[in-house]
Amino acid sequence: MTEKKYWQNFGEHNNSDHSKKLAGDEFQEEPPLFSFDSKGLLEMKTPRRDFLKYLGFSTAAAALAASCEMPVRKVIPYLNKPDNMVPGVPDYYASTYVSGGDAVSVVAKVRDGRPIKVEGNELSGITKGGTSARVQASVLDLYDTARLRYPVQMVNGLPKEVTSFEAFDKLVAGSMAGQNGTTVLLSATITSPTSKQIIAAFLAKNPGSRHVQYDADSFSGMLQANEASYGKRVIPSYHFENAKVIVSLGADFLGTWLSPIEFARQYVSGRKINEKAPGMNRHYQFESMVSLTGANADQRFTHKPSETGAIAVGLLAALGGTVTAPPALSEKLKTAVAQVAKDLNAAKGKALVVSGSNNINVQIIVNAINEAIGANGTTISWAAPIQTRQGIDSDFSTLVTDMNDGKISSLLIYDANPAYDYYDAGKFKAGLSKVKTSVSFNGRLDETSELCKYILPSPHFFERWGDAEPKTGFISLMQPVIAPLFLTRPYEESLMKWSGNDQSYEEYFKIYWEGKLGGLEAYEKALQDGVLEPAQSAAAAGSYNSSKLGDAAAAIASAKKSSELELVIYQSVNMGTGAQANNPWLLEMPDPISRGTWDNYAMVSPKFLKDNYGIDLSDAPQADKFEVHPERPVIKLKANGYEITIPIVPVPGSAEGVLAIAVAYGRESADPKNTASFIGRAVPGAGRNAYPFVSFNGSTFEWSAADVSFEKTGDDYAIAFTQTHNTLEGRTSVIKEMSLGQFIHNPDEVPDEREDELKKFGGIENFEKEGTLFGYYDKPGIHWGMSIDLNSCIGCGACIIACHAENNVAVVGKNEVMRFHEMHWMRIDRYYTGDYGNPDNVQTIFQPMLCQHCDNAPCENVCPVSATNHSSEGLNQMAYNRCIGTRYCENNCPFKVRRFNWEDYTQADSFPNNQDEHGVGRLNDAVLMMNDDLSRMVLNPDVVVRSRGVMEKCSFCVQRLQDGKLKAKKENRPLLDMQDVRTACQQGCPTEAIVFGNINDSKSKIVKTRVDNHHRLYHVLEELHVLPNISYLAKVRNPDTEANA
Amino acid sequence: MALLKYESQVRPPLIDGNKTYHQVTVDIARPVEERPSRLWWIAFTIAVLLLGFGIFSVTREVIYGVGQWNLHKTVGWGWDITNFVWWIGIGHAGTLISAILLLFRQGWRTGVNRAAEAMTIFAVMCAGQFPIWHMGRVWMGFFVLPYPNTRGALWPNFNSPLLWDVFAVSTYFTVSVLFWYCGLLPDLAAIRDRAKLKGRKFFYGLTAFGWSGSTKHWQRHESLSLILAGLATPLVLSVHTIVSFDFATSVVPGWHTTIFPPYFVAGAVFSGFAMVQSLLIITRKVFRLEQYITLEHIDVMNKIIVLTGSIVGIAYLSELFVAWYSQNPYESWAFMQSRANIFSPYGWAYYIMISCNVLSPQIFWSRKMRRNLTVTFFMSVIVNIGMWFERFVIIVSSIYRDYIPSAWATYYSPSIWEVGFYLGTFGLFFTCYLLFSKFFPVIALSEIKHILKRSGDSYKGQMGEAEKETPEAFAHEMAH
Repeated sequence: MTEKKYWQNFGEHNNSDHSKKLAGDEFQEEPPLFSFDSKGLLEMKTPRRDFLKYLGFSTAAAALAASCEMPVRKVIPYLNKPDNMVPGVPDYYASTYVSGGDAVSVVAKVRDGRPIKVEGNELSGITKGGTSARVQASVLDLYDTARLRYPVQMVNGLPKEVTSFEAFDKLVAGSMAGQNGTTVLLSATITSPTSKQIIAAFLAKNPGSRHVQYDADSFSGMLQANEASYGKRVIPSYHFENAKVIVSLGADFLGTWLSPIEFARQYVSGRKINEKAPGMNRHYQFESMVSLTGANADQRFTHKPSETGAIAVGLLAALGGTVTAPPALSEKLKTAVAQVAKDLNAAKGKALVVSGSNNINVQIIVNAINEAIGANGTTISWAAPIQTRQGIDSDFSTLVTDMNDGKISSLLIYDANPAYDYYDAGKFKAGLSKVKTSVSFNGRLDETSELCKYILPSPHFFERWGDAEPKTGFISLMQPVIAPLFLTRPYEESLMKWSGNDQSYEEYFKIYWEGKLGGLEAYEKALQDGVLEPAQSAAAAGSYNSSKLGDAAAAIASAKKSSELELVIYQSVNMGTGAQANNPWLLEMPDPISRGTWDNYAMVSPKFLKDNYGIDLSDAPQADKFEVHPERPVIKLKANGYEITIPIVPVPGSAEGVLAIAVAYGRESADPKNTASFIGRAVPGAGRNAYPFVSFNGSTFEWSAADVSFEKTGDDYAIAFTQTHNTLEGRTSVIKEMSLGQFIHNPDEVPDEREDELKKFGGIENFEKEGTLFGYYDKPGIHWGMSIDLNSCIGCGACIIACHAENNVAVVGKNEVMRFHEMHWMRIDRYYTGDYGNPDNVQTIFQPMLCQHCDNAPCENVCPVSATNHSSEGLNQMAYNRCIGTRYCENNCPFKVRRFNWEDYTQADSFPNNQDEHGVGRLNDAVLMMNDDLSRMVLNPDVVVRSRGVMEKCSFCVQRLQDGKLKAKKENRPLLDMQDVRTACQQGCPTEAIVFGNINDSKSKIVKTRVDNHHRLYHVLEELHVLPNISYLAKVRNPDTEANA
Repeated sequence: MALLKYESQVRPPLIDGNKTYHQVTVDIARPVEERPSRLWWIAFTIAVLLLGFGIFSVTREVIYGVGQWNLHKTVGWGWDITNFVWWIGIGHAGTLISAILLLFRQGWRTGVNRAAEAMTIFAVMCAGQFPIWHMGRVWMGFFVLPYPNTRGALWPNFNSPLLWDVFAVSTYFTVSVLFWYCGLLPDLAAIRDRAKLKGRKFFYGLTAFGWSGSTKHWQRHESLSLILAGLATPLVLSVHTIVSFDFATSVVPGWHTTIFPPYFVAGAVFSGFAMVQSLLIITRKVFRLEQYITLEHIDVMNKIIVLTGSIVGIAYLSELFVAWYSQNPYESWAFMQSRANIFSPYGWAYYIMISCNVLSPQIFWSRKMRRNLTVTFFMSVIVNIGMWFERFVIIVSSIYRDYIPSAWATYYSPSIWEVGFYLGTFGLFFTCYLLFSKFFPVIALSEIKHILKRSGDSYKGQMGEAEKETPEAFAHEMAH
């Protein structure tokens, strides 16, 4: 072997010192630490501890500099604190909601001087504490940014401020001086006793003047029919609770007809199931569109609006009434009428027929029917007539003619907006321009006010004294719960001033009621209660005369025959006649039937869609394709000489050949540019005006049109729906429904079904323990639970708005709802059952859906940061400031009740100026309006306003629960069931469908409800073992079994 | 005796051309040492522009909120998590190639492992963007870390699969980076030693960590590689298993499926290899490395693609079977209606998935197709489209119609900013990959040299002679 030299690198080759050292060190095994130097680590320039110090300091400094800057918000304490006011403790004052003729006794919750929530007044014998969505939302109207803030004089179509009331009075006096025409006060129905007295005094001062009452949704037909049949131009009280058989001919008495809160309570009291003796009323609905009431009916019959009269006459004939030559009905309706008549006959004295028609003749026939079935004096009472509608259509029609003829020199308008809601608004506007002195007392520059010369805004009902008398003898009082926000004056005070009475309305009011009640003490008690009511009296009959019956029947017989396509004009449950048109809560509330928001549209039958667009909704793939997109075809619709382009929405159950359009949308100022500032920022773009489709038949307004023609435009229009899938896909563990017959025959149907489903996991009894691999935990102390009775829920949506107001739920606007971003914590799901092709067969069912507060909640274990977790009281709670917004909980919630703050809806974000996005995620002006300092006054200070990027959902009103517990604790007593704590949805519900309480308290109402109704009790998606704390009671319908056979 | 140095001649050589060690170094280091081509500049510009658009899109999302995307109350995850799972899946091939194939002593891995590992790292970086920026309040994202805090005993929720993701993905990323960099050290040193420019010498000197090629270095390098391979191997399986837990442990019908872990891993390997194919076919062409990344490599990887594609296909069938067999109405709806029903709103996505992932890879049963570059490139893109749709189908078509029909969704399609974010991650990926291919050797230089004597073209050619060698001659040779 030769001495070969192997080398790995040049150093080794040259045998340098460095390389030798490296080679020597190569296999050195000591830890490298010791090889530093002998001084050790602590003596180094920057030893380890110093290093950690520097690291700590620099991290802290960077964190402080980067993230701890908080916006400074100043809180200014009272300089002189008012007595009886503790910051943070709410006060409650009784008041009255008044809109148009409607009057509802309410209680205002006032926090630190601001009313923030409306509750029903439980002392009211009419509503018994129930509310409607519109009543719940009325508190937001107080903070409406479009309210007129001072008296104005209109100059060239623009408002010019009048700085004081004196100046305004002088202006009006100057304008009215030396006129020889008539002075007219035009208003909605006025029920207030004091106002009526003031008006009378004003009219007396101005000889020849008159008061015209005009209701946008007039009941003139009924008033005049009652005059003909009973000699009184009033509307009697109805007692649905006494009726075993209820037949409604198109009256939406649960949604918009007369006094829906009262009727809903009465109606549902006859439908709550007592399991020991099951029984309930039977409700038939004849209608042309799907109304909220029709959706609740046991059986619906659809017809064209032109057939309404014929059905009434047919029904009267079938009941044995003397009708000569009843008009011909289709086979289908004939059978229906016969069946209904049979049921009515069998329930004489316990039956009621109501009609939503505004036609005098139809109402005369209905009066005859009610006579025939013994309703007069049993289910209809003349003891305390309803006063909320007194307008006579022909009076107004005459007034408009007089105005155009130049006979009216002064027109004072209060709470009426005919320039928008009168069918012939053009004629009214023309007439108004001929009136020399036109004064409006409306609260904003609406379509009518902006055409008046002088506007003196009246205060919101929360800012004023006042009274109302919705039923004769039933007084409801108002008291100011906040100092007037703006320079407003009650119209009564103006009338007093202008008739020479210098008293203030407040003094007048006080003197009036002190006099009536006999002293200050009684007056104050009345104010505290908010209501003055007579003792409940028995139903009283009216004296009937049938003299006009023959004429009415003859008029109906000769009425125009039905045409191929007809139109119904209706009021939607959320918007009514449009008085609250700038209320984003209401605009964003989904229509109970169509589930659309922010718009109106023509509801058509699925057949219409199939015939004209070839889309068959009974075919799943086609329905799928249609419903997952918000775009709806647009048609050009023509009737009564008016034409609009409007999208169509197919609604199963709509009568074939009938379109239905809601009023209250499409508000617009004379110059459309002014709409946002005059009427409100939420208004522009919200739907189209349907009032011009209404017609005048010579004596009353008709809310329907025949001979309708349409053409396809080929355009699409996107509507913001909150629900797109309409059928249940047979998922019986979501909704359980049965007929009364089934329930009586087999009361155990629901428990059997549940047992069957759960028997593999221990059955109903042991499911909680055996349905899981994990341990079982006791739940001592308070455990909150809720029960929702599907039989009592009518789907009116009062709970949605109650929740909105209580929990500062954000308004997101149409654009965002369209993107499925709405924030409602509470929603009411609506499903159709039955055959899409047969409108009479389609049934609708509602299900309130909110966080189920599962004891084994799937959302909780997936949150990476435990932002959502379980309280010891069974609440599934959200820690908003822990939430990082991964949305995993939302995906994993089987009920899909979690709501994410996709954008900055509330301006609570730490990023400034981020509501100005264009393109994707553009926010509507309504959202920005809700962030105005004025609108934000409605926020509940007990509930945090959520910022962008966090998840939120129903909390069972945890702030109320804490409040109630604290109250009980301070008084050193156990929690009082149903008194200390109630959730907002429960309190707002007019039908007591929601019961809430401590399920560990055996005496609580929730436990009692669950025990008493255990044959109907179930939990939604129970088999998932998520253990919801909300239980539902199965829906029971009472259809005529013979007809079903 | 001859067996000790015997290399099968049946296996074609893995390095073509008659290469010497020096030639190998020159070939592989060429792209690093040459100025970048015009093509590279064009590609780099496009990648940076895409990245810029992605950053803009994400900035909008951070400022204005997740509402900049079209997700909604029913579909809480859409493109964001689809892309996350997709990128994570792509990031599987690298570690699989370098770790599992290292343990299995698959010689062919040396040609592709460096690029595949780099791809893994960049893909995981892209994947990581999605769970970070999909948060509503990303500035609070540090809440997921179990750091000591002043809020009492406030820890993240260790029950949440999302938290497992945080640990799984960050571990995987860390180990992958270490593994990759460890392999790079000798190569960096080689470039350093060849460097003539001062700056280059400094840079590679810095990055080479003073590698001198001493025996001790090599010894430690080999043990560290083996240890990291051992660590990375379970990670290859665990990462996608844990990602699949995001879905499998939920209650959503269509997500709640026990088959998900193996199915996701197979899918990940499937898409990862497809991505390796896409990248390497271009890389070998552009950098003229056809002799190192041979048709043999392409062929082997296509075999893996057809294998994993078929596993995924079986998983799809099992899902349908179980959906039917369980008689669970919600699960059958998710599979039979929301997916398999082509007329349902997202039915089309399911069939894109099936045809891309299961049907089209079957052409690789043919050797001719496996060795056809055009077909392979086309198929690799198709597979990744299919795998993207698989994740989209799983995520969106399950949640958009789950339990309560009233909550069934409107049609979810992405907004421009969602697409922008996705494009941005392509920008990030290619920016990184292009920089990598410019500054680092895309083939593991030192490892290629390891196999040169066994699988190089010329050595294979000499095997005939080796067989003839007498045992005595061999023993003599071994003794010296």
